[in-house]
Amino acid sequence: MTRKIRATAAIALIGATALLATGCSSGGNAADSDGKVTMTFWHNSTTGPGKAFWEKTVKDFEQDHPDVTIKIQAIQNEDLDGKLQTALNSGSAPDVFLQRGGGKMNAMAQAGQLMDITSSIGKTAKSEVSAGAFKGYELDGKTYAMPVDVNPEGIWYSQDLFKQAGIEGTPTTMDELNADIAKLKDAGIQPVAVGAKDAWPAAHWYYNFALRACSEKTLNGAAKDLKFTDSCWKAAGQDTKDFFDTKPFNDGYLTTAAQQGAGSSAGLIANHKAAMELMGAWDPGVISSLTPDGKPLADLGFFPFPEVSGGKGAPGSMMGAVDGYSCSAKAPKKQCTEFLNYMTEKPVQEAYYKAFNAIPANESAQSVVTEPYLKTVLEAYNKAPFVSNYLDTLYGQNVGNALNTSVVNLLAGKGDVADIVKTVNQAAAKG
Amino acid sequence: MATSVAPRPSGSSELTGAGKDLTGAGGTTPSAPAGRGRKKPVADVRKRVEIALLAGPATIMFVGFVILPVALAAYYGFYKWQGYGAPTDFVGLDNYKIIFTDPDFRGVLTHNAFIVIGSLLVQGPIAIILALLLNQRIRGRGLIRVLIFVPYVISEVIVGTGWSLMLSTSGAVNDLLQAIGLGALRNDWLSNPDIAIWTLLAIISWKYIGFAVILFLAGLQSIPEELFEAAQLDGAGYWQIQRRITLPLLGPTIRIWAFLSIIGSLQLFDLVYIIWGQYIASTAGTSTMATYMVANGRNSGNYGYGNAVAVVIFLISLAIALVYQRFVLRRDTAGALTEKATR
Repeated sequence: MTRKIRATAAIALIGATALLATGCSSGGNAADSDGKVTMTFWHNSTTGPGKAFWEKTVKDFEQDHPDVTIKIQAIQNEDLDGKLQTALNSGSAPDVFLQRGGGKMNAMAQAGQLMDITSSIGKTAKSEVSAGAFKGYELDGKTYAMPVDVNPEGIWYSQDLFKQAGIEGTPTTMDELNADIAKLKDAGIQPVAVGAKDAWPAAHWYYNFALRACSEKTLNGAAKDLKFTDSCWKAAGQDTKDFFDTKPFNDGYLTTAAQQGAGSSAGLIANHKAAMELMGAWDPGVISSLTPDGKPLADLGFFPFPEVSGGKGAPGSMMGAVDGYSCSAKAPKKQCTEFLNYMTEKPVQEAYYKAFNAIPANESAQSVVTEPYLKTVLEAYNKAPFVSNYLDTLYGQNVGNALNTSVVNLLAGKGDVADIVKTVNQAAAKG
Repeated sequence: MATSVAPRPSGSSELTGAGKDLTGAGGTTPSAPAGRGRKKPVADVRKRVEIALLAGPATIMFVGFVILPVALAAYYGFYKWQGYGAPTDFVGLDNYKIIFTDPDFRGVLTHNAFIVIGSLLVQGPIAIILALLLNQRIRGRGLIRVLIFVPYVISEVIVGTGWSLMLSTSGAVNDLLQAIGLGALRNDWLSNPDIAIWTLLAIISWKYIGFAVILFLAGLQSIPEELFEAAQLDGAGYWQIQRRITLPLLGPTIRIWAFLSIIGSLQLFDLVYIIWGQYIASTAGTSTMATYMVANGRNSGNYGYGNAVAVVIFLISLAIALVYQRFVLRRDTAGALTEKATR
């Protein structure tokens, strides 16, 4: 009998240990009796200056707020979404975390996981961060995240390779772009790099054609009903197909990744193996990490996506995402929103620009931007009548992924223009 | 599996033993031996406690990590669920309807069937021939055996990364073809939808053939030498011996290998996921049931739908495994699973 008792005790012990372990990990946002608050903070900068930036920012914030302790956890970008979802599900969400916006944010907000920060947005953030940057984080009139940078999209190119092919200036219409691509081909240069293995880089061509073909109302309306009924979706598909048919891309584009290694599309640009690529404003940072000497590409240039005649989109509109941070619904409201507001302060934003080589959301901090290509981006961005979030973010993961894949199918010659619309409707049924 | 083969006088009975082990591992928990001493209740209780103690951890693990997840998947499969909070949007069999009308899912079934049949047809014959060869006394036999087995030992991640680098459009394979004057054969091995699945089949065959060879070699070693001697004395030639004696006696091993190969092909995920990534497997025509589940479940945030797909995969694999056990493995497992019926 003693054995039985021992066994029971052992099982009880194991159970208690398991409970204790999970109990420990789910804590972290409770205020102690003496008013001290501990918050957990998840971001995606696991290396280099980005990681150091967040460490310094948190330290500075803690110095100003002695009653707050922030525990940083840097999570690899591709792992972040899955871990976050698990954490939100199990009720052990981090207090502050990276927010990508769009359909994903809507799902979190609808599940009651996000703090409504509308009334807590600070003075600096209100006056110095553009309303456009906040727009992506709004749902039914409530704001759910604080923007820290803006990533408008356009075409990044090598000035040397353009010169080598005898191209003067940058193209402003599709006809000009096609002519330039022909010139690059004649000069024996791969014109456009695309990381179709990751699907979204190829799909971004479709997004931009849709931005030219569809009105702002159509793009945003589709985010609600997830139905691609307007004829502009098909027109954009046709424009995409016409462009793909000119075979502008690098060899083996289907198995080319976007950002990993010298063989990726960013790597091809960094090593002068291809002349241009369509990408968001994070690209200079990625490219500079892939150059032979690890320094920024000296001859990097930028031009906005060319205009397409006959579309309903306002000329000069841009695709672009915003990076920002959300508070969990369970986080201590005062301290958490104070931390979010602190992220948008001018000195913090200037340091952010230096760490990430990205355009800060605070407009007064944007004056520190020195790179000519980033200045071109800013100029186009500040003039843009409409900045749309990337369609895969805007329409949520489910429809977004299906949309991306259908564009890759079109690129591989496996489907036609009508299939894009059909796939989107099919995917919407799964969600 | 090969390690459980111990030399015994009769080849067939010994291989039955191997079959027994496998079916044990394949899902049926061995029933605990019944306590005999009814007259001694103290010893009886003690024995029961001992059994409970020894089988307990395994049972808890099995129920907690196999049975419970299957039940949960079945439950979530009836909901549209994005993974936040508890599922609330009950849709009945809607997810299943979508699965069976989705052309992509029909596509992955075709790909899986191709891989199952292709693996059997390619690996089986080649592995038997290699095993027969390596069973001869030839110079460097040990080295060749090791070399054939090496691909099986290498992790799938390394194999996938290596081959995807070599087979990419500007990779080593195309460069080599160009260099030896076969430039006309250069191809988009991975991204051309017409040949990508053949490339996958070639990589799978290269990787897993070593396992088949080792299994067959173990099977060959256990065939008693006397049978060959007797056949030789009776005037049988080399090929006659192979056909009439070796192959029939190797039968149980071949059937077990085929079972493992089929299950492996149905579950294929890692190689495809590493070579073709998260998104373009269906474009390249190499997506499998498992990659479909990840792409349409986890990556799309449709956890309800993904769970329904998991249930469908489970049922398909279970059905195939049961049919195979019932009709093909039955003679090997006779006496192991059907003990009571035969008595």
